[in-house]
Amino acid sequence: MKVIAILIIVLTGGLLIYGVEEMPDWGDPNSPASSHVSPKYIKEALEKTATPNIVTAVLGDYRGYDTMGETAVIFTAGIGCILMLRKKRKGEGEGD
Amino acid sequence: MLEYIVSKYNFWVYVILLLIGLYAMVGKKNLVKKLIGMNIFQSAVILFYVSIGVKKGGATVPIFLGNAHAAHGHGNAIIDVASYINPLPHVLMLTAIVVSIATTGVALAVLILIFRRYKTLELDEIIKIRKDTGV
Amino acid sequence: MATQFAALVIVIPLIAALFVPVIGWWKKGLCHPWVVAVLVVPLIASLSILNRVIESGPFSYYLGGWAPPWGIEYAIDYLNAFVLVIISVISLIVSIYSKKSVEKEMPEKVVPFYTLFLLLVTGLLGIVVTGDLFNVFVFLEIAALSCYALMAIGRDGAPFATFRYIIMGTIGASFYLLGVGYLYIITGSLNMLDVAQRLPEFYHSRVVLTAGVFMIVGIGLKMALYPLHAWAPNAYADAPSTVSGLVAPLMTKVAAYMMIRIMFTVFKPVFFIEIIPVTTILTWMAAVAVIVGSIYAIAQNDLKKMLSYSVVAQIGYIALGIGLANRSGLTGAVLHILNEAFTKGCVFLVAGAIIYKTGSCNITGFKDLYRKMPFTMTAFLIGAFSMVGIPPTCGFFSKMYLIIGSIDAKQWVFVAVLLTSSILNVIYFFRVIKIAAFEDVIPDYSRTSPYITYRLDEVPISMLIPILIMAAGILVCGIFSPEIINTVIQHIIPASF
Repeated sequence: MKVIAILIIVLTGGLLIYGVEEMPDWGDPNSPASSHVSPKYIKEALEKTATPNIVTAVLGDYRGYDTMGETAVIFTAGIGCILMLRKKRKGEGEGD
Repeated sequence: MLEYIVSKYNFWVYVILLLIGLYAMVGKKNLVKKLIGMNIFQSAVILFYVSIGVKKGGATVPIFLGNAHAAHGHGNAIIDVASYINPLPHVLMLTAIVVSIATTGVALAVLILIFRRYKTLELDEIIKIRKDTGV
Repeated sequence: MATQFAALVIVIPLIAALFVPVIGWWKKGLCHPWVVAVLVVPLIASLSILNRVIESGPFSYYLGGWAPPWGIEYAIDYLNAFVLVIISVISLIVSIYSKKSVEKEMPEKVVPFYTLFLLLVTGLLGIVVTGDLFNVFVFLEIAALSCYALMAIGRDGAPFATFRYIIMGTIGASFYLLGVGYLYIITGSLNMLDVAQRLPEFYHSRVVLTAGVFMIVGIGLKMALYPLHAWAPNAYADAPSTVSGLVAPLMTKVAAYMMIRIMFTVFKPVFFIEIIPVTTILTWMAAVAVIVGSIYAIAQNDLKKMLSYSVVAQIGYIALGIGLANRSGLTGAVLHILNEAFTKGCVFLVAGAIIYKTGSCNITGFKDLYRKMPFTMTAFLIGAFSMVGIPPTCGFFSKMYLIIGSIDAKQWVFVAVLLTSSILNVIYFFRVIKIAAFEDVIPDYSRTSPYITYRLDEVPISMLIPILIMAAGILVCGIFSPEIINTVIQHIIPASF
């Protein structure tokens, strides 16, 4: 098992190090990630959504659907734990 | 060579964390250690995303302080894009952190079920019990 | 109205899932009718979406009114609508089946079970209908978490199999997220169509290559593609009957849909054929999956485990069709998604019915089952015919397209693999039918009458009707497959093939 683990580590590590070379430098303000979609978020969030916190504006308004999915994830995990762990009341005490 | 390592050192940090997490998930024999490895692995991915959004040159958090009332709904304050960092990776990672916690919770509940049945949490002992009882 | 249905198909099951605990604590018997009534809505919605796409072409829906790529977009085209209809139909049929089976296997957990059932269907529908890369991850996790919880309450070995599924499934989802992050670094956007537009100039960059490999490996882990299939046989075999009836036809096929999306919409096919030879590796892995899955299936004595290895083999077929990357191969792969949904649904529901009546599904105990449960075993026979590929069931047509695709690509090895696997399928399926139909229990001569009377001991009607609907669906899909290919599947394939 340890041999398989070492093999997977070497393969994944090799692939990751191979891909690092052409990434944009850390903190570059002209990288595509900072210059395509997000300038419009920063410029227009305050006047379109009236929220001074841009992260809240994106999370609750532009991408509010992802937030709905995230609350569904928490609900699913809670009901899943109830499904798996609840025991019958009589004779077993409180199941945790 | 040193320049290459230093200019992209956020990537090296997350690569090392990811490999540690992956080794723990595959190579360790205790089920709880596998779970902790899964947590480390997901944290590495989250760190990677957050490090994308940084902008050098004195950029600050993407919250409008102070002049919020003046610019509220009227847009008469000029907003300089280069002085606020990228908000999108932070948004995505808020969701990813919640998903990671939920998965850890469900996995711990499954571990409780395994412990009730096999009375141990070591992988080789569980496999031996399964082979002996013919499950 | 059809454009609004694109959002309603997710929202209605999600809100209904929040109401199930409320209804359950008021009156437990109302959960099941509520679930069935709610699952009719995605069926109507997806049929109306498919109708709209066939009549006037693909359309888009912007969530919240924000234009992409700043907001989330639902880009509905032929492939989306097709898989949506499949998911809605199968989930409605399984929910009708689930009443008696859940009452027998886990009577005190009915309320959380149905909540997670609706959430699982919501997650699967959400993966298919969305056009945004990160939204796929969120709904993938909804579906995966409800699947883990539902599978863990099965038979004796279920929690251990579920833990292995959790570990491997989380690795898969995190690799997918890592690939999305790499694509975001290079292009700056998360919308599928926008990324597809901005990516071609970066095709020779190492970062895009790493992103492609991570996404394919991540989706391959979720899809149970050999050699990443280790979680699938135990997890599907030890799960409760209703859960394996819902998850086995759908979960891996939705992951196969994601692979088609990534390979043909986000990255253009030329990337995966020439720049990194993923299609070559995919076809060879698929061929190995087909043979190995079939051989392992022959060695099993437990019906559900045998069917789970059969799932691994059938995923090999779909991956082979995707990897061949020509017109017939891709047609065969997409048609096989439809066939697999009905065929695996039918046989897993039959296995659940056998467990309901006899308590175990060990094949050696199947003697005389044909006389006691004739309708159920006839449905199993139709499912077996479809798996082997005998006309007029739908399995024949998809295999035919895969063989034509292999001949077009001049890969004679895969033709041999496909024909050999049909023979292996015959071996393990007809072993079951031989024991069920032709081996008699030793008659008890101490009875007064010399004739043995066999009482018809079928499962209840609410379990029998869904099984028969699935079997009828196999035949209908087979007879109408030329129409299905001409109206829907033909437009899915990129025009350059």
